[in-house]
Parts: sequence; C-alpha cells; structure tokens
Amino acid sequence: MTDSHSRRLIVDGAPQPFAEGDSILSALLRAGIQPTSGGALCAAGDCANCLVSVDGIAYVRACQTQARAGLRVERAHADGYPPLPVTERHGPEIHARHLHCDVVVVSQGEAGKAAAEAAHADGNRVIVLDAAGGQEVIGVYPGPLVVARTDAGMLNVHVKRELVVATGAAEIQPVAPGSELSSIFTARAAALMHSAGVALGRVAAIGAAPDGMPCEHVEGQLLRFEDNGRGHVAAIITRDAQGNERRTPCDSVSVGFGLSPRNGLARMAAQVPGLTVRTIGDAAREPDIPPCPLAGIVCGCSGVSVDDLQSVWERGFRELELVKRSTLAGTGTCQGAACIPHIRSFLQNRGGVLQQPFTARPVARQLTMGEVSAGSHHTATPRSALDAEHRALGAYVTRVGGWYRPWNYGNVEAEYWAVREAVSIGDVSTLGKMQISGPDALEALERLYPTKVSTIKTGRSRYVLLLDERGYVLDDGLISKDSDTRYTLTFTSGGATTAELWVRDWVESWGLDVRLLNQTMSLGAINVTGPLATTLLKRLGFDQLLAFMEHREAVIAGVRCKVYRLSFTGEVSYELHHPAEHSVALWRALMRAGADLGIKPHGIEALLKLRLEKGHIIVGQDSDFDSTPRRLNHEWAVKLDKPYFVGKQALLRTNKLPLDKMLVGLEMDGPAPLEGSVVYRGESSDMADYAGYVTSSSFSPLLRKTIMLAWVKLFDGAAPERVSVNGRIAKRVQTPFYDPEAARARA
Amino acid sequence: MRAHKLTPTRFPGTRIVATPAALDGARWPAGAIVLRTARDEAFVLADVAAGAVDDPHAIVVADAGYAGVWLTTDEAQAYLERYCEWEPPSMRPAFAQGMVGGLATKLWFERDRVLIMTPATVSGDLQERLSAGVTERAA
Repeated sequence: MTDSHSRRLIVDGAPQPFAEGDSILSALLRAGIQPTSGGALCAAGDCANCLVSVDGIAYVRACQTQARAGLRVERAHADGYPPLPVTERHGPEIHARHLHCDVVVVSQGEAGKAAAEAAHADGNRVIVLDAAGGQEVIGVYPGPLVVARTDAGMLNVHVKRELVVATGAAEIQPVAPGSELSSIFTARAAALMHSAGVALGRVAAIGAAPDGMPCEHVEGQLLRFEDNGRGHVAAIITRDAQGNERRTPCDSVSVGFGLSPRNGLARMAAQVPGLTVRTIGDAAREPDIPPCPLAGIVCGCSGVSVDDLQSVWERGFRELELVKRSTLAGTGTCQGAACIPHIRSFLQNRGGVLQQPFTARPVARQLTMGEVSAGSHHTATPRSALDAEHRALGAYVTRVGGWYRPWNYGNVEAEYWAVREAVSIGDVSTLGKMQISGPDALEALERLYPTKVSTIKTGRSRYVLLLDERGYVLDDGLISKDSDTRYTLTFTSGGATTAELWVRDWVESWGLDVRLLNQTMSLGAINVTGPLATTLLKRLGFDQLLAFMEHREAVIAGVRCKVYRLSFTGEVSYELHHPAEHSVALWRALMRAGADLGIKPHGIEALLKLRLEKGHIIVGQDSDFDSTPRRLNHEWAVKLDKPYFVGKQALLRTNKLPLDKMLVGLEMDGPAPLEGSVVYRGESSDMADYAGYVTSSSFSPLLRKTIMLAWVKLFDGAAPERVSVNGRIAKRVQTPFYDPEAARARA
Repeated sequence: MRAHKLTPTRFPGTRIVATPAALDGARWPAGAIVLRTARDEAFVLADVAAGAVDDPHAIVVADAGYAGVWLTTDEAQAYLERYCEWEPPSMRPAFAQGMVGGLATKLWFERDRVLIMTPATVSGDLQERLSAGVTERAA
C-alpha cells in the first residue's frame, strides 16, 4: 500500500487522495472538485460556500476541517443547504466539560496572545479559545458562559469578568451577477490555496491582489462573472473609469474588496449581563464598506438578491434589523458574515446613513442535536430502598408521583383480594415525611392547616388538607403529634416537594421559632394492610393494640419503627416508618412471617382500586387547580371557626357563592371508562349537556361494577342524578362505595 | 484514576436541625466530618448525642439517607468538569452542595480526596454518572 493510497478521503463515495496538511477544501480543490455548487470561497470559515457533510454530519465547513484518511465527505448541491441525514444516527454521546476562569480570549493571533499574556500577568485565570486550535466558539450566553465546540465535545467556559474578542477580520465577498459560480476566491483564500499547491490556473485579481502568487490584476468596477457553461468562472467583466467594459478571461478570480471585522461574538456578548467585552486587533477595526451592490446575490445562505433588498426598501423596511427580518438575509449559515457589509452599503446608498450591524444571537455555528444536548441531564427520578426487591418479585416498575414505584406484581386481582381478605404489604416510602419541632410548632401548624391542630392528642394523627391562599387544595396528608412541641407531617408522594417549600416559606415569613427536617429520602415506609394485618405484626413482636389513628414507636423484626394505625385501603392498616437502610430486611421479614396468612405485596394499580372503593381522593388526580374543600366534598376537614389559617379568607368569600361544580361518586355496569372521559347530563352526548369528566375509574372486584369519581357541574343547584359516560348511563351515588361506616378499617 | 466500578454506599451519620447559634457552638465528635447544609441544619458523619447541641427543640436523628463515594482529587476534577456547572471551592477543606449532573449533590473536599454524596434514592444515577465520568475515562 502506498503512502498516497493510505491518505484518501471518500468524496461522494469515491476515494480521493489528499496531501499532508490539507484541509478538506484544499484536498477537494486539489482533486478538481468544487465543494458546493459555487460561490466565492474565503477559506477562513466566514462564508457558507464550502459546506459539506462529513461522516454524516451536515454543515461542516470544509475549509476549517483537517483532511483525514477515510473521512466520508458528501458535497452539498442545493443552494448551499446540505441535505440533512435521513437515516437514524446513533453516534457516540457528546460530552460537555465545564471550566471556570476570569478572562476568556477568543483566538490567539498576535492580538489575542498579547491580551492573554497581559490578563495572566494581572493575576487572572485565562482561557484561550481558538478555532485554529480546535476550540470553535459557538455562543456567548448569560451566566456568563462561553460555549465552544471541540473534538472532545462541548466546552462550557464560565467566565467571571471579561471576554476578549480577537477574532480578526473577514474578507468581503463579491456581489455581482455570477458571484455564485465556482473558482472565485477571496484574496487570502487564493493565496492560501496557491501556497498549498492547489492549481488555480490563470488568476484574474480584482481589488487587492493575493500575496505571493502570479495573477493578472484587473482595474475598474466589477460588473459580473462570466460562466464557462459548466458553473465555473470563465472571465471577469469590469468597467473602467471611462465607462468601458473589459472582459478578462481566466480560470480563477481573486477578489480583494477589503476587510470586515469579525465581531459577531462581541455583538452577541454585549447583551450578556455582568460581562465586560473587549474587541481587539482587526476585530476592532473600522469596516471597509464595499460599493453599493448593483445586482446579484447578496446573501447566499438565504438566497437574497439586490432586487429583494430594493423590494423591501420600497415597502418601507429601512432599518437593518427589519431588512434582516423581512428578507431573512443574515439569518442563515454564516449569520451575516458575508452579507452584512453589502446590506449596510445598500442601505447607506439609499438612506444616506451607515447603519450598525444587527444583533447577534447564539448560536454562531450549526450544531448537531448531540452537541446541543451535551451536558444535559434529566433530573433523576428517585427509587425507594425496596426498588430491587420489587423487581425481584416480578413487579412492573414505573414512574408514579415522581418516583419509580411498583405498578403491579403481575396479578392485580390477587393483590387486591389479599388486602380485602388476608394481608398485604405495600411500599409507601415515597410519602413526604417531615418533622417540625419548637416552641411555635403548634402555632405554625394552626396557621398552615384548616383543622384544629390543638385538639390532636399526643400519640394521635389526623387527616388534613393543605390549602393555598385562594382556598384551593394544595396537598393532603397527616399531622401526627409526638409531643407538645413536636409533630410529624406526611404529604402525598407527588406533592411532598411543593408542600415542604410551602411549609418552609410560611414559617420563615411568620418568623416562628421552629425546626423543620424533611426525612422523605431517609425513611422507608411499609403499609401492612388487611384483616390479618394485626396478626402478622404480632408475630413480629408488635403486640400493642393501637387505636385507629394512633401511633407509637416499636421494634418490629429487629427494626425500630414508628407505627401508624390508619387506613387508605379501607382495611386495618399499619404504616411502619423506619430507617430506609432497613427496608429490605423489614419487607422480607413481613413476607416470611405472613406466608401462611396468604400475604402478597400490592402495587399502585391495586391500591388505586382499593382507595377508590373507599372514595379517598388523590390530590392532583381527583383535584384540580381550583378545587376547594367544598367542591371536593371535604368541608368536614375545615374548621372555619378557627381564628386563622392559610386560605380561610378565600373560603369565607367563595363559600358565599353558589356551588358550581363538585366531585361526586358514580357507578355503572360494565367495564371502567378511561379516566378523563367526558360526563354528560342525562342520556345526552351533546356538548350542550357537558357536565364534567371522570377523574378516577375502576371496576370494583368486590362490588362487581364500575365505580368512578368525577367532576360534574351543578344544574339548577344540583348535581345530575343520571349521567352518561362513553354512551353508557351512570348514576350518582354517595361515597364511600365500600364500608361507609369504616367498620373494617377501625376493627 | 481507577478502572474498577465505583459503587456508592450509604454514609450513616446524624442530621441535626437546631438554631444557628446552637450549631455554631455544638460539641461534635472528635475528627468527625461536619457538613453544614444550612444555617440551621448539619449532617455529621458520626453518631451525635442529642445533648451535643444546646437547643432543647433540636431535631437530632440518625440518618443513612445519603450515599456516596470517596474520589481522588483527579477523579473528582474529572467528574466535576463533566457534570458541575458551578465552580467548586478551591480552599481545603471545604463543603459545597448543589445540582451536579441533575443530582442534588453534597461535596466534601479534603486535600487529597473528595466525598461526593447524593440522596440514596438516586444512588443508581450517581453510579451511572461516576461510571461515565470517572471509570470509563480511566479505562
């Protein structure tokens, strides 16, 4: 294998050799291949005329990408917009890296190097980002944050003080009929290609001549480029001072129309608060303003011509920002690098004023989705300490209420009947758990909750609603009194975080002397429920008789627990709160001890059936953002004769208004409709008779019918007795559907 | 850097919520690592008696709700460069906390090592990130 054979690019499917040091652009031109359908080449990353796809990544600037053996290069053929990959790609994950410094210097030309050295000498931590060194800055964001693309991934530089932009100046592109032909170069690009050994043929140079290469210098005003019939330039047509046209035949054209500062990043950064922006070197130079373009394409990225500019000018779009928005000039791949000088010249010619360049916004370069998402992470969903245990038992685990939880263990009916007829355990570690202690603990709770907390006795618990200032239900849970100055609060799994912030905010606002400790992540909780629950706990050493809503500390199966007697399922239930590191041991001990009692674990799916039979609401599912206790039929949980609680004023006011909707119980024969199904009054299915929607729905194994909770509107002050859901009749019934006297739960 | 798997384990300790003054004047066990997580809260990586803080209403509870690993300085730097958007403290020892790679994280910096902890409920996610940010990088 020869050396040249080992250094080949694959261009449009065919191998092409390249030379040491070649960019993809010089390799293509050396092989006589134009990177795109045409347009002047700058070879400096400023324009969008050498875009190619490399290894499936579109919008890659051929001039800025080193040629490497085996790279697959596909050329763009349509208007400078390369085809996006149509196949699904699974490239390697793009990583992000975070660095911190005082000063960022973009580019390390002479000016950049000097600025970096000076900043370093002043004791600053300096980071230099240079596209030539592989760090291409793509945006400056509030933070302040400078983001660069590198071969190793995205680099996020958090800069404290100053951004120094030393990015030099771009060469001005030609605008004239035929400027979209190939073999047109800016002067520096022509010199670069020549020095790289690319054969340019006869070169006609207009404006400043390229350094160090032979060319025929052409005087006069550029009129147009002539096509050789194959999309290549064949001649340049100019007009001299006397008005005579001159045709200069050539193979390539070099255009030296001056320089425009590369200050896009500086314009972008100027909008970032807290960041000093300094532009130095050629990036700070005054721009050369080219002659007003007469004809041709001004913005190659968006295909905007001089005629288009004239058209919007005549329609009154005369500010540079408006011209950009109305024509899309400057919004394409090169973000205005090529067109801004010409549009400014055009507007100066028409309006007499040289306008400032338009606002620059991130990103300055096209990014892949992988690059955009680099460093993004989902906020993790927590798992209880029993997660692996559930999976080992065959549970289908899914996200419920902000946690991974067991939905079922494969047989929902069996789980249900274990609760109703024997004993079952469920993982309720996800409940919010908070301790509150201090001389003002009672006062804080009296203000926060609509119940009379002072009447809760030590060792007892009470179901409570948590209301917002508008009297809407924010969450529900328990208050358990541990002593005169110490209580434990529980919240719903999904509402715990909000509830904690709510409690902390109010306590802080009131300036009360309390201590708060959130133990949600530290404590596990297992619900032991069913008519044989007490029997099971006795076997594990808990032989104390707890009254309904009583709690006590105990050691069960060697694990110190706080045992709460309560019920969400409608059966005798004990919640065992314990250090989460002992959850697995406790769970296994319960399963072992209950084996001959028919114990089964139950998942959320069974729990939802069980609690629905009891008519227990789930805040967030059965409640809405405007659910008052009255609408939820939970007025019994509110004591309006208390002097104060959050939401009291709103309830006093809204209670004077006629009730307009409420949560009701419904039952029907047949299978359960989907939750969210529309409820109509009577037997109608006409939107004029829209009454509400179903919030919870399940077929009750015990009652042998479908039971539902639903929001319904009141008609003439009353909820309809008969409604239709999915074309089937349902009737309104009182809740609970099951054991309304709560005899089983209190047994 | 090490190439073997980094597995977070629970770090048992004591959580204390008390008045800031009581925490400031607390008598912690000798040599214990004390993480002052808030003005009125500390997590001590040791057993702490209830009487250690002079606040009759203090909440003092044993707690093993955090899981984490000790990393070398280089490992920690690699991990934080990849996942941490905020600047870690440069002094030693130092405590810092915040979101790191989408996880609520507590960091304890010593001269030659760094303790990185998250709630044990997301320790699987921590392990995943450690694997990508430290172990795979070393391999």
